[in-house]
Amino acid sequence: MSVLALLLAGPLQSWGSAARFARRTTENAPTKSGVIGLLAAAQGRDRADDLSDLAALRFGVRVDQRGTRLRDYQTAHHQVTEVSMPVSERFYLADAVFVAAVAGDDPLIGELHRAVRKPVYLPYLGRRSCPPARPVDLGEYGESDLEEVLERVPWQAAGWHQRRRRQEPVVTLETFVDATSGDTSPDSLRDAPLSFDPLHRRYALRGVRTGRVQVNNPMARQLPDHDPISPLGGD
Amino acid sequence: MYLTRFRLNTARSGTRKLLSSPQAMHAAVLAGFPDLLPSDSDAPRVLWRVDRVSAAEVFLYVVSSGRPDYTHLVEQAGWPAAGTGWQTGEYAPFLEKLAAGDVWRFRLTANPVHSVRTKDGQETKVTAHVTWRHQADWLLQRQEAAGFRVARKPDGEEAPEGQETPDRYAQYELMVHDQRRLEFSKGKRNGSGKATRVRVNTATFDGRLEVTDPEALRRTLTAGLGRAKAYGCGLMTLAPVE
Repeated sequence: MSVLALLLAGPLQSWGSAARFARRTTENAPTKSGVIGLLAAAQGRDRADDLSDLAALRFGVRVDQRGTRLRDYQTAHHQVTEVSMPVSERFYLADAVFVAAVAGDDPLIGELHRAVRKPVYLPYLGRRSCPPARPVDLGEYGESDLEEVLERVPWQAAGWHQRRRRQEPVVTLETFVDATSGDTSPDSLRDAPLSFDPLHRRYALRGVRTGRVQVNNPMARQLPDHDPISPLGGD
Repeated sequence: MYLTRFRLNTARSGTRKLLSSPQAMHAAVLAGFPDLLPSDSDAPRVLWRVDRVSAAEVFLYVVSSGRPDYTHLVEQAGWPAAGTGWQTGEYAPFLEKLAAGDVWRFRLTANPVHSVRTKDGQETKVTAHVTWRHQADWLLQRQEAAGFRVARKPDGEEAPEGQETPDRYAQYELMVHDQRRLEFSKGKRNGSGKATRVRVNTATFDGRLEVTDPEALRRTLTAGLGRAKAYGCGLMTLAPVE
C-alpha cells in the first residue's frame, strides 16, 4: 500500500457535494469526487471513462488552514439565444489550504504520481475557475497508510497563518477520512464518484470519519526562560 | 535597590485595565511607594516592565530604590485570597557582584527610536524603528556605553550557501520579538482642549550578554535604557545562563 499526498492551496476553492440548481455551495474540505476528478483529469481520462479503480482508493483530507467562506452572486446569459439564465449564488473557500491523500496499490499510486507531475488536463480546486496557487504534488509515501501520512506531512499553512498561531508550538488539525467497516456512526457525504459523464453524473454515499492530528508549528515562538528574581535570593 | 516581581491575574477586569493602558499601569506601579511624594522630583526613577510569557502568565517587574508595597495591586489585579503577593529581592548585593567577563541572559523591553529629518532645513523628529533589524541595530549601537556586549554564537556562523556575506544578525545571540504599537490618550479632556494621543513602539530583546563595564551596566540596570520609561520601557533584567 502506498499513499500519494496532494497540496490543495489557492486563493479560491470550491468543493460542492450536494449543490443543486442555482445555489452552488461548498463543503468545508475537499470532496472525494473533486480530488478523484483532479487525478482522472491529470491522467487524461475522458468524462465518460470508467473510474472504478480511482473511486476504490482510500481518501482522506487534512484542514491545514480553514480559510473563509465567500459568496459570489453570478448572472449569465445563454451563449446563443442570449436568454438570461437564473441568477446563481456560488460559494467559495478563500485562502484555504488542505492536504489530501489517496491510498492504494503501488503501481496505481505511482502512475497517479507521474500524472500529477505531468498532467494532461490542468488541475483545479473543485471548480475550473479556481487554479492552485502552489504545486499540487506533495510526494509519494511507500509502505504507509493514509492516517500516518496525514500525521507526517508538515504543516502547509501560509507563513502569515503560522505566525498568527505562534503561541501554539503544536497545532491540532481536523481530518476527514473514508470510514472503515469498524467505524460506528460515521458522517455521510454524497461524493463517492460513480461516473463523471456530463450527461449523467452519479455519486454514491460515502462514510466519513472525523479525526484530529497534531503537527508542529515551525513559526512557534519559543521564549527562553527568564527568571531574574531567583539569583537575588528574594524574600 | 530592589527588584520586584508581581504575577498579574489576567482573568480580572482590573488587570485588563492596567494592561491596556501603560498610563494606568505606571500610576499603579508608583502607588506602591508610600515614601515617594509627587512633589519629590529628584527621586530616582522607578522602572517597570510587563513580561507576557503566555496568556495566563503575565509578570510585572519593577526596579526601585525603595521597597514597594503592592497590596493595592493584589486587590486590583492579583489573588487577594491566596495570600501569594509579590516577591521583592535586594538588588544591590547582586549588582555589586557583577564583574567584567560575566555572562548572563538578558531581557529588555525598549522604545527604539532615532531622529530623522525628512526635509532640508526642517527640525529633526523622533521616529520609531519598526523593523527588527533596525531595532537590533539600535541595541547594538548602545551596548558599549551601557556596559555590556551582546554575546556571539559559539561557532562563528559561516555565510550560507549562495550568499556573499553572512547575515550579521545571525552571529549574535539576540532575539527581537513582541513588537507592539501602543496608542493611548494622555491627560484629561477639558472643555476646550483634546487629550494628547501618545504613540509608543516597543520591542522586547532577549539574548545573552557579556559584562564589559560593571559600573556602566549597574547604571543601565537601575536607570534604564532608552526612552518612554514611564510606559514600561527601558528596564533590563539579568538571569542566569542555563
